[in-house]
Amino acid sequence: MRQKYVYVAWFCLHFLLIVSFSCRETLRLVAEGPTILPSWSKNFSQKAEGVLSIALGQRLAASNPVRQALATYLHLAGIEAGYGYFAPNVPGSYRLVFELHYPDGRVEYELPSVSSAAAGLRIAGLLDTIGRTAYDVLREHLVRTLALSIWREHPDAKTVRAVLGSIKLPTASEFEHGKRESYEFLYAYDFSLQNEPAKPKDR
Amino acid sequence: MQRSREQLREFLFPAGTDNWLTVLRVGLGFQVTFYSISLRNDWNYLLSGTARNLAEALLSLDSHFVPRLGWLVALAAPVDLRQETVLSFIWICLLAAGCCLLVGLACRLSAILAWLFHLCAAKSGGFVSYGVDNFMTIGLFYLMLSPLPDRYSLDWRLRELRPKDPQFLGFWRRVLQLHLCAIYFFSGLTKCLGSGWWNGSSVWRALIRPPFNVIDPEILVRWKCLFPVAGIFICLFEITYPFFIWNDKTRKIWLICICGMHLGIGLMMGMYLFALIMIILNVAAFGPGLIRAEGKRISLQPQEAVS
Repeated sequence: MRQKYVYVAWFCLHFLLIVSFSCRETLRLVAEGPTILPSWSKNFSQKAEGVLSIALGQRLAASNPVRQALATYLHLAGIEAGYGYFAPNVPGSYRLVFELHYPDGRVEYELPSVSSAAAGLRIAGLLDTIGRTAYDVLREHLVRTLALSIWREHPDAKTVRAVLGSIKLPTASEFEHGKRESYEFLYAYDFSLQNEPAKPKDR
Repeated sequence: MQRSREQLREFLFPAGTDNWLTVLRVGLGFQVTFYSISLRNDWNYLLSGTARNLAEALLSLDSHFVPRLGWLVALAAPVDLRQETVLSFIWICLLAAGCCLLVGLACRLSAILAWLFHLCAAKSGGFVSYGVDNFMTIGLFYLMLSPLPDRYSLDWRLRELRPKDPQFLGFWRRVLQLHLCAIYFFSGLTKCLGSGWWNGSSVWRALIRPPFNVIDPEILVRWKCLFPVAGIFICLFEITYPFFIWNDKTRKIWLICICGMHLGIGLMMGMYLFALIMIILNVAAFGPGLIRAEGKRISLQPQEAVS
């Protein structure tokens, strides 16, 4: 009987965490918008998300043992994220193209490539992270990682330019009228063989 | 008060067989095996180098205690094992754990190893992880804690091993069921907040967005009048899942529709692993007992089921 109480207590805590983190994710999505809710809901959601984050210990110092223990459990159980996939709307995607410049003036173009469709889905996720992150340093590091792997396959290349663009998808009606997906330039990074730091170009 | 406590106890600890656990074990065995095979050529590429170090550094900001590949690589460093060798060894272990789960050999150990190695890969490959990893962690976490082995495993048949706490079979199934209800409710709720799911543009965008553009948009656009209907159905089926999946009369409809939706996602968007894990979790949680003949069998008490 006592064992059952332990199970019930664990379940209550576990389910409370699932619901709380899902609520927080939902509030974050509303706060970031756009949603069909009125504009005042953004402010409300922002405040509510803040309160919930405090309640869940997410505003404690990163080294705080309570926060560390909670984060560890959430990761172990796979409940650290909400479930708002493709919500509230389906975001656009990104494309990264590498320009390989050879000493003889030749230029070749390469895309990040993997050998299976399953790994391709993962690379697409990585490109989304690169495109969406607000941290320039992180973006540059991730682009450099991909550029290095391309370089290993083309060791003769003198410089590599990585060009990141966002893919603009047409609506169904626009597609019917002949409009196709287009690309908007976002960032470019130049890497040279001498391992010089990347030189980001203006957006 | 006493009565509601009794009702809660009955709800959380229902009697039942281990059929659901068999579905979960075999299903996750397939999932882990397919996951490993699908990444065999790209495993080292995706999980080594700067991207992994960055992902692990960011993970450390969250928690220092979440298992990661870096720990295993560091453990092997004193014996001069290269990173590539360690990663390949982990891949083999994961594949072996998946195969063992499939046939039910060393169920508990296989479940723990599959959970641990998959978790390490998912966390260290944070930038290349997506929803499927989350759901695999959830499924393997519950499988690892459930009373294994089940009646159809080799552990039961050949080694004559029996679960230690069979009275908790119903509890773990309930936890999985309630977790799925929360997943679909919040997934549906967040979709309902976007106008794209009501006017069908999100369905169109999801289907033509690289790398999910498996079907030629020229073919898709001919069916554009169905996109709003599909979008609204997805929202409604997801958000109402927790309310209709418990009722005997509506459970079959909701389960078939949800599994059909995931099958559609798998086939039309190329997300086979994602579709498979969601179908496995749904069928394990709500499938056993759905057919009448099966319903008669689950009247067995757990003690009888394991005797």
